[in-house]
Amino acid sequence: MNSLYILVVWAIVWIFGYYVYARWVDRKVYKADPKRTTPAKMYMDGVDFMPAPKTVLFGFQLNSIAGAAPIIGPIVALQWGWLPALLWLAFGVFFIGWLHDYSSAMVSMRNDGDTFGAISYKLISPRARGILLTFIYFYLLLIAAAFGHVITKGLVGNPSLPFPMLVVVGVALLVGQLIYKTKVDILWTTIIAIILIFAGIWAGNYIHIKTSYTVMLIAVLIFGYVSAILPVWRFIQPYNYSSVYVVYFGIIAGVIGIIIGHKPLTLPAFTGWSIKIGPLWPMLFVTIACGCISGWHSLVSSTATSRQLANELDARPVAGGAMFAEFTIATIALIVCAVSFSGKAEYLQALKNPVGIFTLGLGNAITTLGFPASFAKSVSGAMILILALTIVNLVFRFMKVATVELLGDKIGIAKNAHVATIVALIFAFVLVKTGTWLYIWVLFGGANQLMAGLALLLVTLWLLSKGKNYKIAMIPMFFMYATTIAALIYISQKLLRLLFTGKVTGTKIIGNIIGWGAGILLVIIALILAYDGYIAFKKYKAMKAEEVSEE
Amino acid sequence: MSEMSEKEKSIFKKAVSFFKDFTYGMATHGMARHALKTRSSMEHLFILITMGDMLGVPILPPYYSMRLLPFVVPQITTWKRRMLRERELMESMY
Repeated sequence: MNSLYILVVWAIVWIFGYYVYARWVDRKVYKADPKRTTPAKMYMDGVDFMPAPKTVLFGFQLNSIAGAAPIIGPIVALQWGWLPALLWLAFGVFFIGWLHDYSSAMVSMRNDGDTFGAISYKLISPRARGILLTFIYFYLLLIAAAFGHVITKGLVGNPSLPFPMLVVVGVALLVGQLIYKTKVDILWTTIIAIILIFAGIWAGNYIHIKTSYTVMLIAVLIFGYVSAILPVWRFIQPYNYSSVYVVYFGIIAGVIGIIIGHKPLTLPAFTGWSIKIGPLWPMLFVTIACGCISGWHSLVSSTATSRQLANELDARPVAGGAMFAEFTIATIALIVCAVSFSGKAEYLQALKNPVGIFTLGLGNAITTLGFPASFAKSVSGAMILILALTIVNLVFRFMKVATVELLGDKIGIAKNAHVATIVALIFAFVLVKTGTWLYIWVLFGGANQLMAGLALLLVTLWLLSKGKNYKIAMIPMFFMYATTIAALIYISQKLLRLLFTGKVTGTKIIGNIIGWGAGILLVIIALILAYDGYIAFKKYKAMKAEEVSEE
Repeated sequence: MSEMSEKEKSIFKKAVSFFKDFTYGMATHGMARHALKTRSSMEHLFILITMGDMLGVPILPPYYSMRLLPFVVPQITTWKRRMLRERELMESMY
């Protein structure tokens, strides 16, 4: 089948999802009102609460939600064939993904811009907030481990990539210096940064850096340490700023390349109901998270975006629109990888390095535009590594803050930023070195989807408490909850079975135990919150019944 | 014909404006917010030191607070709201 047909599916999902279903939910369920004062206007402080134009916020939201996960998820899920992956992406984003992001922003907006922690305290129970924060810490640890491996493997597997990444890091430090210290005009700074980064990518083809996996992993963790310790203006912000242009180039060139190349899909449409990772249900649904439905987005929507929306009608294009845009990135990843291999065996062989698969796929698409193959592949590799590193620098920084906040009062030394960061780095190092990446990825996906289930639980309760059609969120919530818990239980028992049958040896035993423990912990947390949610549901249901009988 | 070209111009302008705003949102909005946050925390610290009495935290003798009061009046409402607002750990992410 020609890859352009997938773009047709993508367009149908966009048009009907965004312009029909999303519009209906916005107008009929939430009844978005342009006259209602939003928290951004009501509590405007010029900092946290500040109205911003919807186009700016759309870019901000997309930049905040889109990392490497919408690319890697579909690449891994191709093991079941491109059809199940495409169907889950299409139906997932249509019925759940955009609704989750949009509702997170709307519910937060209607609750004075409160974060989900505060809303769960109000709507579910006081302990829900604490549980949610603990959950988020482990969730971030899994993200750090999953992406730590992806980056390391990508750098080790392609010796032409470490040099460009060093250049990107150097340019980030330079950009910080130029903007904030030397006060150079941002236009000139941008031009210098773009020239240096693309020159670095080109030079990477001639300057190869080869080293072992462990050394590279330590280098990646040093990157995490630097980004957690240095002031945000010095490194993280300039890094995100200067690297956006590589991502821009990769996406635009990739889309044009797919359309011009319109190659046939070479991987099978469907390979079977059960593969090495596990059965299609539930495992496929946690393998592809971002690009379809992701709990991470609820954090972005409820902590930052909801406080900047100037008009309730902007929530659909900003939060919903950004989700559909991320779906586009996932679709591109799916296409470029499904056309790049001669068959399933070659793809499975390459799967050990997902960055390599994307580099090959997007590189081929960009080559269609006339760029040299070596340069096109380096740009593609740099793009995915940049996206993954964006997540890593945010994760370690947040883990540092979480350690200081949660343990600082009980353990004095935990207040030290260096100690808090190093603890997070050691956890990530141990998990990457001892765990099996495929299972870590699935656990991360499970945690991510569980976060989405929790967000949908909050949305359901809020809709119920306001007498609105709560079923639009409740049905996806049940699906996400059941799927994620099933996936976590499946993966935990599999890790345990591998342990007891002696199929894992050496340090992998530690990784299996950690993975099993994380899986079980997430299930317990999910069940506690589900129980509290059920009690809250009954309470709101009874309140509604009382109101009706009084009338 | 000229009406058509005006229409085209308007579409082009809108497209350029969208691209500019979108790029700003993708690349720079986060930076701008962070710069504002840094400035505001400095200012709020200053107001806390000088006007702490308003929140029951007397730091500076009232004489000096009263002398400084006219300069901080425009910010008092937002300062109080930000100081007393309950904060979540998650807020440190974005």
